[in-house]
Amino acid sequence: MSGLMLGVVGLIVFLILIFLRMPISFAMALVGFAGFSYMTSVSAAMNMVVRELFGNFSSYSLSVIPMFVWMGFLAYYSGIGSRLYIFAYKLIGHWPGGLAIATQTACAIFGAICGSNTATAATIGAIALPEMKKYKYDVSLATASVAAGGVLGVLIPPSVIFIVYGMATEQSIGKLFIAGIIPGILLMLLYQITISILTWRNPLLGPAGPRANWKERFSALRGGLGEVLLVFALSMGGLFVGWFTATEAGAIGAVGVLLSALAGRNISWEGFKKSLVDTTRTSAMIMLMVAGSIIFGRFMAISRVPFEMATWTGSLDLPPFVIMGIVLFIYLILGCFIDALAMILLTIPIFYPIVVDTLGYDPIWFGVIIVLVVGMGVITPPVGMNVYILKGIVPEVPLEVIFRGIWPFLIAIIVCLALLMMFPQIVSFLPNLLTK
Amino acid sequence: MKQFSGLVQRISRSLDIMAGFCIVATMVIVVLNVVLRVFLRKPLLGTMDYVTLLMALTIGLGLAYCGFNNGHIAVDLIIEKFPKKTQAFIDAITNLISLIFWGIVAWYMAEYARTMALSNLVAPTIQIPLSPVIYVISFGLLILCFVILLKIIASVRKVAQ
Repeated sequence: MSGLMLGVVGLIVFLILIFLRMPISFAMALVGFAGFSYMTSVSAAMNMVVRELFGNFSSYSLSVIPMFVWMGFLAYYSGIGSRLYIFAYKLIGHWPGGLAIATQTACAIFGAICGSNTATAATIGAIALPEMKKYKYDVSLATASVAAGGVLGVLIPPSVIFIVYGMATEQSIGKLFIAGIIPGILLMLLYQITISILTWRNPLLGPAGPRANWKERFSALRGGLGEVLLVFALSMGGLFVGWFTATEAGAIGAVGVLLSALAGRNISWEGFKKSLVDTTRTSAMIMLMVAGSIIFGRFMAISRVPFEMATWTGSLDLPPFVIMGIVLFIYLILGCFIDALAMILLTIPIFYPIVVDTLGYDPIWFGVIIVLVVGMGVITPPVGMNVYILKGIVPEVPLEVIFRGIWPFLIAIIVCLALLMMFPQIVSFLPNLLTK
Repeated sequence: MKQFSGLVQRISRSLDIMAGFCIVATMVIVVLNVVLRVFLRKPLLGTMDYVTLLMALTIGLGLAYCGFNNGHIAVDLIIEKFPKKTQAFIDAITNLISLIFWGIVAWYMAEYARTMALSNLVAPTIQIPLSPVIYVISFGLLILCFVILLKIIASVRKVAQ
């Protein structure tokens, strides 16, 4: 069997295994090992596997993952999310659709200390949904706005997906982080415009809540916004101006959230322990997936699949944006079935050379675009991870009802994507400003 | 069986608690290094070595409990459409394949640790030998195998019912 043929067979076997519910990281490592063995020898392949496992687990650059994951879970268990939400809705809750609009603001601010879209959706959802229920918001709008808001969590730094993308493509994590800020704010505004249009057309979707007076607003302001801004300024700011490495920014962020939670007596010993259990679990999952994808990538590299694909695409007589469109379409379809992180790890070795080397797109820009596209994946049926998370918070709401509310938000993401494609400066402006 | 399952849970949970300590230790060392570097201009020597070894320990120790809690992400979507017994049968097979694979990896990892010990490989700055850390990863993988074995037994029982 030729290398190329073997690579294609390997990809098919991998897909079969994951659709038979084998954990994605296991399937990547196993197929990578099997293919590598076939092309070299079993002992060479096993040596490669153990070296890659140890090499990745003990990689300084990957140590950034547990730090940012812990920072996110500390924020989750210390209840910063709920205080942020209270602040946002005291400010704009009296608008029609105001609670849903406030949800987007809270998701965006929470995203500034949490790097995961599911954690953002779960945190804000747990507090925002009961409130919206109280004020008789349409269930579909309420749940969908939280699920979609979760995407802001990965776009606004820190972001686990940016870290993994940066590792896989050797791009600066600091640059990726800073590149996500403006698109993140843009998407938040687009979501809020979407909600305003929906509630303007049908006010019953989001009845206005009670108006808070300025005293209440100021007291809510003290509740969480200050802490978040301080921690964000310290950890992200330090990273952007080059004082810290990414790992240091993560550790400083974690210690910042922990100290502010302790100072405000907002975290219990139980919550602290839970944050650690969740962090070890999530880190083990991510790191094994990263190592698995590298083992799989080693097999792909010797099978020459990525090289042949890139050459083939290069020979196509199509304008770059059409090929880019096809690549994004593939991401969108895959994203409906496969977890965002796994998908990025799996596809980067194949698509990155095409998009960046052959078509000449900017790698940082491509990173932001990918995060948006996989963001669509986490809210579209049938997999839509965020939707399942919300289903866990409000079990009585049928999945179809949540998915029905998702469509307007999907359109908002598509508009955001189109804007970023037409005006790449939206992404490159801040990173360029910083490197000058 | 219940005893075995309880034992595996206790061991993987204990390893996970140690992994949690490693995370806290990593944070303390990294922050201490930043503070010393910024305020006293004396960075903590060997920070990078400590961090990389602690990370390897965190992941090695955390793998099994992550598996115990079904933390390794899998795609449920298609298999959920099958009857329960078929699902259990397929789970038993895929888990058996995983068990064999990780069993071999655990063994090779221990071998790798042994060769590292023989060649006396140490972390560059702090001069701590690497082999114990690799043995820990190998042990973590072994416990992961026991966790997978538990899942196989559970699936086989479902099929036999």
